[in-house]
Amino acid sequence: MTVIARRLGGHLARGLVMILVVTTISFVIIRNIPGDPLLARYEKLIEQGMSPEQAERATAVLYGFMPSGSLWEQYLDYMSGLFRLDLGQSVSMPGAQVTDVLASAAKWTVLPVLVGTLLSFLVGVTMGVYAAIRRSGKLGDVLAVSGSLLHGLPQYVLALLLSAIFTTLLPILSSGGTADIMVEPGFNAAYIGSLIEHATLPIATYALASYGGWILAMKSSVVTVLGDDFILAAELRGLRRGTVFRYVARNAILPLFTILALSLGLLFGGAIFIERIFNYPGLGLLLIDSITNRDYALMGGAFLLITVAIVIANIAADMLYTAIDPRVRSGEGGAA
Amino acid sequence: MVMTSVKAPATSGRRAPGVRVSGLSVVYRTPAGELPAVSGVDLELVPGSITGVVGESGSGKSTLALSLLNAVQPPGRISAGSVEIDGLGDVVRLRGEELRKARGRHIGYVFQAAQNSLNPLKTVGKQLLDLGRSHDVADLRALVRDARDLLGRMGMDGARVLDSHQHELSGGMRQRVGIMLALVLNAHLVVLDEPTTALDMITQANILRIVREVHEERGLTTLVITHDLGVVAEIADRLAVMYGGRVVEQGPTRQVLGAPRHPYTQGLLRAIPRLVGDIDEARALPGRPPTLGTIPATGCVFRERCPLRAEICATAEPRAISLGESIVACHVAEAGAGPEGRTRQAAEARKAREEHT
Ligand SMILES: Nc1ncnc2c1ncn2[C@@H]1O[C@H](COP(=O)(O)OP(=O)(O)O)[C@@H](O)[C@H]1O
Ligand SMILES: [Mg+2]
Repeated sequence: MTVIARRLGGHLARGLVMILVVTTISFVIIRNIPGDPLLARYEKLIEQGMSPEQAERATAVLYGFMPSGSLWEQYLDYMSGLFRLDLGQSVSMPGAQVTDVLASAAKWTVLPVLVGTLLSFLVGVTMGVYAAIRRSGKLGDVLAVSGSLLHGLPQYVLALLLSAIFTTLLPILSSGGTADIMVEPGFNAAYIGSLIEHATLPIATYALASYGGWILAMKSSVVTVLGDDFILAAELRGLRRGTVFRYVARNAILPLFTILALSLGLLFGGAIFIERIFNYPGLGLLLIDSITNRDYALMGGAFLLITVAIVIANIAADMLYTAIDPRVRSGEGGAA
Repeated sequence: MVMTSVKAPATSGRRAPGVRVSGLSVVYRTPAGELPAVSGVDLELVPGSITGVVGESGSGKSTLALSLLNAVQPPGRISAGSVEIDGLGDVVRLRGEELRKARGRHIGYVFQAAQNSLNPLKTVGKQLLDLGRSHDVADLRALVRDARDLLGRMGMDGARVLDSHQHELSGGMRQRVGIMLALVLNAHLVVLDEPTTALDMITQANILRIVREVHEERGLTTLVITHDLGVVAEIADRLAVMYGGRVVEQGPTRQVLGAPRHPYTQGLLRAIPRLVGDIDEARALPGRPPTLGTIPATGCVFRERCPLRAEICATAEPRAISLGESIVACHVAEAGAGPEGRTRQAAEARKAREEHT
């Protein structure tokens, strides 16, 4: 138990540092944007007839810190705003709190990424086991080759391919947006169907992009475990096939949890391209829009959220690992 | 040390089985083709006896042991011969569930690398239950009790060990757990492949004593493999000496060690450093044991290193002949023996080999 707590503590500390670094970078970017939009904004408000104090407050609301004041004051202002989950206001969507904008966009990234990853993890791991067991047969070859091919394909190429095939060549799926705007949102079959239809291509991209990796990783892991002495020993003791299979599977899947963390992180990062290609309004698209609109508060917020997602994915994967591997649990180390 | 006495388990009349290995050949597929690791081995395990198998590493001991369970691993396969075990028949012909149930239940096997014979993710106790369920043991509580008792006899805290994962046990403890798992189902043929390597002298002696005790108590037939002549001298009733995939000499331990007939056995004995006497007297066997690729295809496999080498050794493979109570495969020993000590097994063995190839 204490080991779990200690590992969790370590992860939180590392995660916090990472978040601190990312937010500091956002701050520096916002602070040093060419043409100083803060000052420009402030001066524009004055021009519009605001008093200097009013203008200063209005600017602070927008960016999270006062345009005047020392660098330190501005930094602390910005950071304390973060801790109150106040990321300022969006410029491109006047009046909208960055936090709210992010929150509504986040689910459109997190859900497809998680569903896609989980799907490809389950299918890929199962296929990996088959590829390992049938590694000297045709099926094994086919699985391994398909894995390598998919694994070698960059995500955005995959997304472009899928997009070309299913929205242009063979237009059976629509893309753009989270659902058809003509359908009344709500808990009804038409809307849910439309949601699924629109999410299919992004999810398929996430799934296919990581699927090859799972097959290859699981295959090599299973092959390694099959060669382990304890598996032969289990067979020599006459354990049932199913029991031996479970021994193999559980030991082989273990190292994959570390890859799971990396993979989730990569996918969250990759969402930027995928959502752009499918015009799917998640965090990635938000980030791109915020950059084109020079909406720096929003940009910083999106960066922050993607970072947080990666940190959480890491922690979740490691906790899973810890729960399964008794060597880690009892503090012996094992794989990191 | 906890010394609990184990009550004799209900064996329902199962007796120590006899084992007859005849004309057994095992080949491994290599880039140079299929090469024999065991060639035409004839060996009988007398019911109720402990047979020791010795030989340098690479002589085919583990391969022979695995053959007793029909468990030679790819790229290897049994290419000829049979392994008749009382109550099981020819295990070479066993397949599928029949074979699985024979392993563990009828034949207990202690793995050469017994330190690594446990699933690292499960406690010993859970693996014990897996074993019991795999063999349809009705009373799992009794199984656990037996396991605890066996562990106790081997000087361990049984309850604690059953509750431990592999990484919480030392090498010696794991090896003893391996022995417990081989004995706990009450198998009557037990095969131990180098059960005491990587153990210190005291643990080694302890384990051998326990193996001997349990063997006698339960009336087992036991095969112990080792490259340590001291180990077999201590516990084996009979001895088989392997070289290059052949059993070159076999017989009662005291005869084989007291009056070795094969020059390889003689060399092995000379190579043992003695506690008393001149250290120079211990002379290492010159040369190296052959590997799969360097085992000579014709003639005597040992001739390269043999001090008694004659011309015939390069051309003809020596036959197994009976000399007193021993069976020896050596041209020189054969020439030195009177005509009365002629082949008993040799003719049969040759016939069996020819039938299979
Ligand atoms: N899986 C394998 N593939 C190829 N050769 C093998 C394999 N296992 C064992 N051998 C070879 O078979 C011979 C006998 O090996 P083994 O039975 O392990 O001998 P021992 O137990 O006496 O050391 C050795 O020459 C070894 O190299
Ligand atoms: Mg061996």
